[in-house]
Amino acid sequence: MTPRKDLLDIQSLTDEELDFILTNAVPFKNLFKRSVKKVPTLRGRTVLTLFYEPSTRTRSSFEVAASRLSADVINFSVNTSSVVKGESVLDTISTLEAMRTDYVVVRHGMSGIPNLIARNTTASVINAGDGFHAHPTQALLDVFTLKEVFGGDLRGSRIAFIGDIQHSRVARSTNLLCRRMGMSTAMLAPGSLIPRDTPPEIAAFTNWDQVFAWKPDVIYLLRVQMERQNVPFIPSIGEYHRIYGLTDERLKRVRDSGIYVMHPGPVNRGVELNDSVMTYERCLINQQVENGIAVRMSVLYWLKPGSVEGTGS
Amino acid sequence: MNKQRLFKGGDIASEDSAKLQRGDVLVEGTRITRVAPNLIAPPDCEVIDCTGKIILPALFDVHVHAREPGQEQKENIRACSEAAINGGVTGFVMMPNTLPAIDNAGVVKTVLESAARCRIPIYTSGAITKGREGKELAAIGAMKAAGAVMITDDGFPVANPVVLRRAMEYARDFGLIVASHCETMDLSGKGAMHEGSVSYSLGLEGIPAISEEICLDRDIRIAQYTGAHIHIQHVTTARGMNTIRRFKEEGVKVTCEVSPHHLIFNHEDVGDYDTNYKMNPPLRTREDNAALLQGLVDGIFDVIATDHAPHTPFEKNNDFASAPFGITGLETALPSLHHYFISKVKLGWDLLVRRYSAEPRRLLGHKAVPVIEGGAAEFIVFDPNADTVFDRDFIKSKSVNTPFLDKSMRGRVDMVIHAGDLLLLR
Repeated sequence: MTPRKDLLDIQSLTDEELDFILTNAVPFKNLFKRSVKKVPTLRGRTVLTLFYEPSTRTRSSFEVAASRLSADVINFSVNTSSVVKGESVLDTISTLEAMRTDYVVVRHGMSGIPNLIARNTTASVINAGDGFHAHPTQALLDVFTLKEVFGGDLRGSRIAFIGDIQHSRVARSTNLLCRRMGMSTAMLAPGSLIPRDTPPEIAAFTNWDQVFAWKPDVIYLLRVQMERQNVPFIPSIGEYHRIYGLTDERLKRVRDSGIYVMHPGPVNRGVELNDSVMTYERCLINQQVENGIAVRMSVLYWLKPGSVEGTGS
Repeated sequence: MNKQRLFKGGDIASEDSAKLQRGDVLVEGTRITRVAPNLIAPPDCEVIDCTGKIILPALFDVHVHAREPGQEQKENIRACSEAAINGGVTGFVMMPNTLPAIDNAGVVKTVLESAARCRIPIYTSGAITKGREGKELAAIGAMKAAGAVMITDDGFPVANPVVLRRAMEYARDFGLIVASHCETMDLSGKGAMHEGSVSYSLGLEGIPAISEEICLDRDIRIAQYTGAHIHIQHVTTARGMNTIRRFKEEGVKVTCEVSPHHLIFNHEDVGDYDTNYKMNPPLRTREDNAALLQGLVDGIFDVIATDHAPHTPFEKNNDFASAPFGITGLETALPSLHHYFISKVKLGWDLLVRRYSAEPRRLLGHKAVPVIEGGAAEFIVFDPNADTVFDRDFIKSKSVNTPFLDKSMRGRVDMVIHAGDLLLLR
């Protein structure tokens, strides 16, 4: 396996690398059951988190992952309130270069910012979500979770993504990785939130009945963006919930069919799901969170800061 | 200059013949005095060996952003003119999206004074509306009197159809061409590239093809209604091109241009967010590439124009959505068109000469400059077997925002002759 500097998207991962990350996440997860959860793997290394979009969950997940590997973790405080363009990000990066950081975990509202950073630093860049583009560690933790549930082999399993496909980096990354694992994937969203020219192998549905008829093993719910340029995508939240949300009636059908439910978090109760989903026995949301730490430890363990090869797709 | 020069052994390209004609070209002063095979050099005549090279009429570009006044960090008229010469272009039309905009006679005069200090003739367009804001008509008559050759709000459409209608009705009687950058701004939104499979996978907001096609259709209909001459800039989609074809068949005074990059590249070339593939209108699809090339062969496109749009490395080294639209083109156009199309016999030299030399000149009411006896000495010597590497040393433009940066293309502009002067000798 050639040393890899950055994790920017799912496309650029080889099968061997995928296998390496997912396999090594298992022993890392086993650590969590011990009283001492820490290993010295990254002692003396520095992991810096650079979040231009507010995110408590993902950021904390990376922080916990890095500290369990004994790395020093620094939260670099940046402006999350306004649009910070790539040129200003690069100014920050040149500052960070001087600090000799080993890993930079970046989240940004604009697609491609991690790619831009990766080209301009010797540190390993981990994309923690950029614009609508990619969220590779989310995809990895999702697939890791699915492998736990379905016993390793995901071929032939079916997962339906429901919600804002257009503006979801999770829909892109997780869907892509699920297909690479041999799963069939589908999507359901209002027409105004389905992008044009999505890959033809993703089944596109217009209502829940079609989704149920497709016999999914997993329903993956996504958050919804209401409007852009002051033009709404959907008439109202209430209408969205009634037509596309996981309502109590639909949850009953989900339960009757033994379908699992996933969500990247944070959830919007009364929009894409109802409160009752959170106590549903096949709801995987908390398992996703726990696995996120193990998978991110595995990613940090796998990446090689300073290696010249491999800066993404 | 009464110096005589004999260009010996080259093959001459013309818009009228797909076949090159072997011929020696004798230049005396500003004119070509003899064209024939195996000419004997007169005494004291400089003989220039052109064996294996192609002699073609010098190029003319109707769509260039020289960035002066106001954005001289990107380009200025002088550097832009040298870039043009470097690419075999001996005349061009500047776009008015400067700071301030070229929207009154004073700015027209200022830029034409700068242009007059260059080694080739440079023309300017004026804005359609004041400050290119799409609201009030600019001083169209005064700009025409000061020397503007067309009007356009290029970079933006004239969003309000009433404003465009009035502008066309007004400009028509001054014989001014109205050039349209066709885009429906609300549909483009914050889009950074063509809306399609690549914008989806890169997670970038898209500029849908209909943004261009709807405006193009609307603008030609207004031209048809008002009787103005409309020139559609940088057409990128097959559907838009076919709209133009249909209106041409109806007899509407519509001309149009295609840029080399929209023929050569498509949205898949954006790759890893390479901002040297970001321009507006954006690179479309592979199918559009093929359709546009066929349209060029079929004669739907009147002219090839580069939309030379310099930006600094600082501006372009940004995230894809934030980086400015535009790439340079004057220096790369001919070698790249040769590399991708002419050397592969997908385009003939006659077509290149017609669409990038003769017709652009005629669009402005000038004469073409064929390499014939008695013609103006206005031509290029092009080596089809040499390569051009577009590195920083080669590039004369102040900016290097081109997808061809540090790449090699088959074909090289070796000499540029304008008004009898040897402007470039490589």
